Amino acid sequence: MAARAGRCCRAGLSCGALLSPALLSPAVLSRAPATPRWGRAAFSSAPAVSGREGPQAREGSVRRRGRTLQFVRSAAPPRTERMAVDQDWSSVYPTAAAFKPASVPLPIRMGYPVKGGVPPPKEGNLELIKIPNFLHLTPPAIKKHCAALKDFCTEWPSALDSDEKCEQHFPIEIETVDYVSSGTSIRNPKARVVTLRVKLSSLNLDDHAKKKLIKLVGERYCQETDVLTITTDRCPLRRQNYDYSMHLLTVLYHESWKTEKWESEKSEEDMEEYVWENSHSQKNALDTLLRIKASENVSNVTKEELLASEVVKNYRNSVIALKNEGETESNISQYKESVKKLLNIQA
Amino acid sequence: MQKQYFLPSSNLMGARLAGSRSDTQEPKTNPLVSISDEPETLYKRLSILVKGHDKAVLDSYEYFAVLAAKELGISVEKVDKPPKTIERFSLLKSVHIFKKHRVQYEVRTHYMCLELKYLTSSTAAVYLEYVQRNLPEGVAMEVKKTRIEKIPEHIQKPVWDTLPQVEETEVKS
Repeated sequence: MAARAGRCCRAGLSCGALLSPALLSPAVLSRAPATPRWGRAAFSSAPAVSGREGPQAREGSVRRRGRTLQFVRSAAPPRTERMAVDQDWSSVYPTAAAFKPASVPLPIRMGYPVKGGVPPPKEGNLELIKIPNFLHLTPPAIKKHCAALKDFCTEWPSALDSDEKCEQHFPIEIETVDYVSSGTSIRNPKARVVTLRVKLSSLNLDDHAKKKLIKLVGERYCQETDVLTITTDRCPLRRQNYDYSMHLLTVLYHESWKTEKWESEKSEEDMEEYVWENSHSQKNALDTLLRIKASENVSNVTKEELLASEVVKNYRNSVIALKNEGETESNISQYKESVKKLLNIQA
Repeated sequence: MQKQYFLPSSNLMGARLAGSRSDTQEPKTNPLVSISDEPETLYKRLSILVKGHDKAVLDSYEYFAVLAAKELGISVEKVDKPPKTIERFSLLKSVHIFKKHRVQYEVRTHYMCLELKYLTSSTAAVYLEYVQRNLPEGVAMEVKKTRIEKIPEHIQKPVWDTLPQVEETEVKS
């Protein structure tokens, strides 16, 4: 023994004084846990072992691994064992936090199961930590939050309970989009787009103004729903785009009320709908009727009388319906009847 | 003693009301609430589209958002779940040559659309802030707000009636 110790000392082990007991009596050490006399800094978390009781809750046991000795730290019992059934869960998870298996008293298993086995348990389960959890947003917690936030909310005016009333009192609709996403920047260039929608029936326009506005606006007007849509995105800020869209609406409105000199040159091709007065159809009908009357040698009937007569009015309505609404069964039969009456044909 | 609420945000300046709220029977008022005379802007519809890679996360978020809307007294028009989109692409498996051997990846995006009706600007601000602060990681949101407004003064009548008669100048082409 002494020779062995001497050899160690000669080898120049700096901690020879400390290590020699270990080298000298490994058998002694393996029999019973001994107080650590070295490396206190490394094993500071393990308290000094006293007595020969088996490893208890907070006592580390010593395990031999080759020539070195390790302290095995047994963990404290998880918090779940001390949780009451009726505890306040919102104090366990008040805010968004990662999944802690020792704090969640649920027997959750997640992951791909081993062959012929079950999914892995929650202890040390990375899948459960990766996925966002809603443990901080249980229904009682949501109700608590909303109760606190309720003071900051205001009520919708009860007079505007339907879409039609909103349309009547507030005809203009402004649509904007906000974007929320995770990334290096919170800005989104699509957020500056502003869409303005208004029904032309709610604007103060007369017939000529409405037709001129529709012509000015072109594709932005929808015939079926009578809605004008103006989309602006040429300015860098949303507020600027909103101001620009309101400016466009103002300009369109006022310009459509103006009558320019060149508007008198509006021809039949520019007309939006068929107008029977001063059309070929009217001229031909009147000519035919006048010639019929002349051949029958009836006293001269004036144009106004002819125009005011029933048959001519029927004919006018049927022609207008055909041209504006297109050809349908009822339209064509109506036209047939009116022509028969006009020319006095009994078929 | 007034209980101080710990609110998730400190940026909420307070509600803005068109009318006064002093007609409540209980005299206790929240010290954090401040009322201003500015008229509220009204939102006819708030359409929230949430996009994520995991359907289970979106389902949980939908439950949370719908419950929060109900608790705050906001009417939910409908909850729509558009079908998922899958973006697939093929890449070369090897760093150099081996053109015939590729590897394919796909990105799945699930959607959930929540439509709310008839909100005032204070309610919308409160709800959106609450719901956006609790947005899970990896989930994106688009909020489409439809604001309703009156026709402004300068569009009520054509301006030509009020202007003094000026000689018509030649229109420049």
